Amino acid sequence: MRMEGCKLPPPRQSGQDQGISMTTFRSMVSAAALALSILGPALTIAPSTALAQGVLKLAQTQDLVSLDPIATSDNPSIHAQLLIYDTLLRPSTDATKLEPGLAESWTVSDDGLTYSFKLRQAKFSDGTPVTSADVAFSLKRAGSDASSWKRFFSGIDAIETPDERTVVLKLKKVFTPLLNNLALFSSAILPQKAFEAAPDKFFEKPIGSGPFTVAAWNKGQALSLKKNAHYWQAGKPSLDGAEILVLPEGNSRVLKLQAGEIDAALEIPLNQMQSLGRAGTVKTAVADVLRTDFVLLNTKKKPFDDVRVRQALNYAIDKQGLVKALLYGAGKVANSPMPLMAYADPELKPYAHDVAKAKALLKEAGYGDGFKTSLLVHSGRPLHRQVAQALQSALAQIGVTAEIRLVEGGTHWSTTKAGDYEMAVSYASSDTIDPDQMAGFLIVNPERANAYHTEWKNERVNELYEKERATKDGPERGAMFKEMVELSHEGAPSIFLFYPGTPYAYRSTVSGFEVLPTGNFRLEDVKLK
Amino acid sequence: MLTYILKRFVQLVPVLFGITLACFFLLRALPGDPATLLLGARGGADEIAAMKQRLGLDLPLWRQYLLFLGDILSGSLGRSVVYGQPVMSLVLERLPATLWLVAYSTAIAVVLTIPLALWSAIRRDQAPDILIKLMFTVLLAIPSFWLGLVLVVVLAIWVPLFPTSGYGSGILSRLHHLTLPAFVIALATASLTIRSLRSGILNVLGSDYVTTARAKGNATSRTMRVHVLPNALISSISVLGAHTSWVIGGTVVIETVFALPGLGSLFVESIFARDYPMIQGLTIVFAVLVVLINLATDIAYALADPRIRLD
Repeated sequence: MRMEGCKLPPPRQSGQDQGISMTTFRSMVSAAALALSILGPALTIAPSTALAQGVLKLAQTQDLVSLDPIATSDNPSIHAQLLIYDTLLRPSTDATKLEPGLAESWTVSDDGLTYSFKLRQAKFSDGTPVTSADVAFSLKRAGSDASSWKRFFSGIDAIETPDERTVVLKLKKVFTPLLNNLALFSSAILPQKAFEAAPDKFFEKPIGSGPFTVAAWNKGQALSLKKNAHYWQAGKPSLDGAEILVLPEGNSRVLKLQAGEIDAALEIPLNQMQSLGRAGTVKTAVADVLRTDFVLLNTKKKPFDDVRVRQALNYAIDKQGLVKALLYGAGKVANSPMPLMAYADPELKPYAHDVAKAKALLKEAGYGDGFKTSLLVHSGRPLHRQVAQALQSALAQIGVTAEIRLVEGGTHWSTTKAGDYEMAVSYASSDTIDPDQMAGFLIVNPERANAYHTEWKNERVNELYEKERATKDGPERGAMFKEMVELSHEGAPSIFLFYPGTPYAYRSTVSGFEVLPTGNFRLEDVKLK
Repeated sequence: MLTYILKRFVQLVPVLFGITLACFFLLRALPGDPATLLLGARGGADEIAAMKQRLGLDLPLWRQYLLFLGDILSGSLGRSVVYGQPVMSLVLERLPATLWLVAYSTAIAVVLTIPLALWSAIRRDQAPDILIKLMFTVLLAIPSFWLGLVLVVVLAIWVPLFPTSGYGSGILSRLHHLTLPAFVIALATASLTIRSLRSGILNVLGSDYVTTARAKGNATSRTMRVHVLPNALISSISVLGAHTSWVIGGTVVIETVFALPGLGSLFVESIFARDYPMIQGLTIVFAVLVVLINLATDIAYALADPRIRLD
């Protein structure tokens, strides 16, 4: 390939100014001006994208990857799928219980091995009715080898469809989290016939029974949704449609919101929340999402194998200070690695900021002079870069020297997974409201992530996990989760930092827009003035 | 000319072959693999192994490489791991935004460069020259995302002449949408080309044939147009060509600020996800585009200076 183009010619001196008259220059400039004046009017024609009545324009940070519910795990895809498809059950908006979705009622047999669902009279967006065959087909697909979410459906042994509107799931072993997993986006109910007619093309313009259906998807720009005329909730949605725009840059989202080009935006930069809300035309809000940020401690490596060291690190950090300074107050101090979700214990106090106690614990563990370690940080997460700086100086106060290792996301993940780290700033967030999934991921070892790669192991937690899954949902099961969370609090597999909120904003002409604890949003109740 | 172009395309073959080798094996040297990253928190060892098998990542490297070559020959460039679609169709969805941006910003840069460089050269070391030099040195130093945001605040919010971001549809709307981002890129290009063209002009102005042309009684404007500019343009065309090649894949920041669906951001996202087929496919596409731009640069040489013969 050509290389010379990369070099600039060396500056050369030439003779005196040759006395070219000004007219030459003027003629050149006027030619350029003429060109611009021809182009000018064309450039200032207003775009023909005036707001249609009743179409909500919502900006998010990334484009979705796919509308296939069993193949995706990114938030934009999940959020869009939840607008297009229905699940048998769904989490209530306050994330405390499961409410009916496509199933209007359900029963669980006393032995916990048979689940029966009664489907409501619902239609897909193409007008065909939702039948038990569609449900059976969709759940089988979600539990198949092609599914990234197979694990969550492996408890289902057989699916029976005694009639058009009844679905019966048979289990071999009691598996209480099943209902919760049926409320997961990957359990979305698809029309079997339409899918099988064109499996390769189906997800380009998928058909579902949710409140909206796809009008167009311009990759990298916007997903246009239109109202599903056959939606089962009478009179909803009130919007004619929604346009979900991709605006990766935080400032751009704020500017567009202020200019009135969009109606709502997710992920507002925290430092702009206050000034944005002040104008009155834009309202800001923070959603309490199910997420914890923490610093993973590799308990396979010294000195993190000693629980006193791990506790000392938890005492050494001014977590309230981090919430104030880095989250601008939009969050709470964490008391364990588990997000604040069902069965959380409000009585469980976070570790206090107590440097003296931290030093004493370190001394007891034999690290009175501190130690040297490293801190792995995801370079694509500005918040975590700031956290790392703050941690570095806080840890220095107890004699711990932490060297920051800034790496890109893929490396961060694979390094943590391989156990090739000492401390790593990370987070976990939940798509479902039952704590089973999060517990399995964050504190159970051995499980798929071995307590999120900290290798922390507590036999009692493992035992409770097995028991919880076989216990009918209720206070007894809740007590098990409380005990697990408490054990993880004491065992400190990580430095629990905070539960950050998700900041979002919308124009005052929008009513009923809310980001839910599961991070998604429902639009069927949104109205535009 | 035609044989020359054909020759260049034949030369493309070994270049592309080298690129496939380099990008294939360098990618595999990165920590992390698409299966592990795709499954994320849900991936147990057995699930990751199953996914690797499904993606063909369990095959020996040489077989994976041959499959990759097969994908290139078939024209599909393989199937993206993340999107599950042929790489070629994903590239074609994003390519127009990039091409628009390249063409539009290059056009603006040329329109800015010629008059300003002339003015600068004619008024060497006087106020206009110093001012232009100062202004474009500052522009070169300003980060493009900041300049982009400032332009948005001023020209889209305060004086709403342009949309804050987006891509538009239809030629006029698209030009309208792309004016600000193209302008930001063009300013960076022009900072380089104005300087090179200015020094080129000054160099030519001192040569004997210009004196001769003037002695023959040519009007100044004719001297400039016929004798000075064509001779001075060569080095600037090189600079412009090199910078345009950069614009193809290097406008991630601009694409992000202005929410444009270009190839740059797709490339960066694919690297983060270790989407091997996507990265490989995009590298091939970038290589072809860079070669095409170099070809266009060479043709521009010949047009500017008939002494340069391409055959």
